[in-house]
Amino acid sequence: MLKRVSLIALAATLAALAVVAAAVARPTSPSTSSTATAGISCKKGVSVGMLAPITGPAASIGGDQLHWAQYYFTQWNKVKGHVKIKLVQGDTQLDPSKASTVAQSFASNGSIVGVIGPAGSDEVQAAAPILSKAGLAFASGSATRVSLTNGSYKGFFFRDVPNDGVQGPTAANYMFNKLKVKSGDSIMVVDDQESYSTGLADIVGASLSAKGVKVDRESISQKATDFSSLIAKVPSSMKVVYLPFQLSSQAQLFAQQLKAQGKSAVAFGSDGTFDSSKFTVDGSYISFFAPDVTTIKADALIVKSFQKQYPGATSPFGAPNYVLAQMYATAITRSCGDGKLTRLEVRKNFGKVKLGTSLLGTPIRFTANGDLANAAFHIFKIVNGKYVTVQ
Amino acid sequence: MNWNLFVTELVSGITHGSVYALIALGYSMVYGILKLLNFAHGDIYMIGAFIGFGIITVFGGPANLDVNVVLMLALMFMCAMLGGGLVGVMIERFAYRRLRTAPRIAPLITALGVSFFLENGAQLVLGAQFQSYDSFSWKNNPIALNGFMLPAQARISYAQVIVVVGTVVLCVALTLFVQRTQTGKAMRATSFDREAAAMMGIDVDRVIVVTFFIGSALAGAAGVFNCIAYQQLWPYMGFQAGLFAFTAAVVGGIGSLPGSVLGGLLIGLAEAFATGYISSTFQQAIVFGILIAVMLVRPAGILGRATVQKV
Repeated sequence: MLKRVSLIALAATLAALAVVAAAVARPTSPSTSSTATAGISCKKGVSVGMLAPITGPAASIGGDQLHWAQYYFTQWNKVKGHVKIKLVQGDTQLDPSKASTVAQSFASNGSIVGVIGPAGSDEVQAAAPILSKAGLAFASGSATRVSLTNGSYKGFFFRDVPNDGVQGPTAANYMFNKLKVKSGDSIMVVDDQESYSTGLADIVGASLSAKGVKVDRESISQKATDFSSLIAKVPSSMKVVYLPFQLSSQAQLFAQQLKAQGKSAVAFGSDGTFDSSKFTVDGSYISFFAPDVTTIKADALIVKSFQKQYPGATSPFGAPNYVLAQMYATAITRSCGDGKLTRLEVRKNFGKVKLGTSLLGTPIRFTANGDLANAAFHIFKIVNGKYVTVQ
Repeated sequence: MNWNLFVTELVSGITHGSVYALIALGYSMVYGILKLLNFAHGDIYMIGAFIGFGIITVFGGPANLDVNVVLMLALMFMCAMLGGGLVGVMIERFAYRRLRTAPRIAPLITALGVSFFLENGAQLVLGAQFQSYDSFSWKNNPIALNGFMLPAQARISYAQVIVVVGTVVLCVALTLFVQRTQTGKAMRATSFDREAAAMMGIDVDRVIVVTFFIGSALAGAAGVFNCIAYQQLWPYMGFQAGLFAFTAAVVGGIGSLPGSVLGGLLIGLAEAFATGYISSTFQQAIVFGILIAVMLVRPAGILGRATVQKV
């Protein structure tokens, strides 16, 4: 009886270990489905999917991203002889579960040969297994979490914006070099308890600590609206409070309360707080992964033409998607040499595209892991409610 | 000792606690009479906040207000309290009345359903985006920006003063109503024994409607109070505030009106001092840790009465 129980226990342990091992093991190269290898005729035109928050709370960002990609393909399709490219919209509402659902529909759509997006890092993580299994390249113009390019989706996932590993030191260096923060000074770093925010707060905190700055690490819920308890701890000598929040409205509220309590420290937000309609407290700073293309002289004609097609303001969230559309057009043209193309060909060619100049004002190429080579973050200052590039 | 920090945390705690207290009063009143945990109560707080926002929008929006601020605030409170009260009455009429004799789990689940209905309905009608009263930018009187200096160079804004004074006024008015009016006496009798009250000729249905109206009106006022001091509103804002206020009601002694106010203030102060002196990261764990300790010592709440069951 005892022997039988021992055997059952041993079998159960082995089964449990197998399950754990299967869960922990990460495939070095995701296997691809049959849709990935099917050839598509270039004559009929091909499709590129776009995963963006077209509706919902981040609709202003998603709309801008969509418009820039649409604008590029509209211009591209006007030229005779170009392979016609259709942009298929997929609304994620910045929700990872919705991103998974739309990614699944893109995976099953045989005419889609590559994907622009998803926009957010959490969405990328949710959609990545589905898109890579379908053999699709997917390139984001706004997902900045460092771990997205740790090799898990090498050859599948790309981004033309710098990651948070660049953002953290850029912000820390700016505080040190331009905002006169010195070794021995203290800075408050407040996260909003979400993974994006805590990760970035860790990076900035470490960069500042390495420079001898004392970091007062604090944390607030994304639902919090009263920061007076926290602001009371900001000493009069403190020069900066760093706010890597996801919600620009929360950064606005924090900066307003900081001023109301008579503190001289300035608020310094991350890319999540970039919204010129919601975060408007004068004297605040924001780091962002893309430049304001409306201030780049070489882009003036394109920006004018874009604004004619899509009247109204544009934000720096949009332009990186124009560049991704441009890179897809190049990759698709290269893949169509024999009149047919596969997702695999597009994916491989996409990773090799190099742009000597780009709308973002810098050359564009990817590193082996899909990150943007020589990436740099930009710093903006709010002056009279407007975002002015200061670095 | 850093007295500036101490006074600032005190002001913050009392302000926040006042909002919790007003919401907690509604929980306590309804529980006292119906023994119902009305989980939709936090969402009435949200509705009150949006009614106030609607008034601001009607008068040109935060940055372009073209009306006397005192008049506008009076209108905001009147509309939010009336609107909140009417929504509360409708909820009672359509969602709870038929379940008065049902097992207690049924109205509890219904209350959760009503809560989700109000949240999703608000999102559908008003959008998911965060909105702001932005009382820092009110053209003719930025009440969140201007204020008084307190001892130790601590500052209290006009908005915070309005919250605290307004709460005191509403609590006094409620106490007088419950203690000195015929309807208040009927409410106390119904709370004590609903069946006996009915047999004594009290219109219990009417008392319940009045209770829902008053409790919900207070929640509506709390929504406006919170947003003039802390600005932001969104369709799901009632969930967390409702949870904290419910906790305040339980800690103070659910069914006890002074207990609800005490519980609200206790939670507000615990939140503020935990952030200021211990850790903002573990604020909620600290607050609820304290509350667990209170409940272990006084299971019926600080001012609650333990019920004796005859066997």
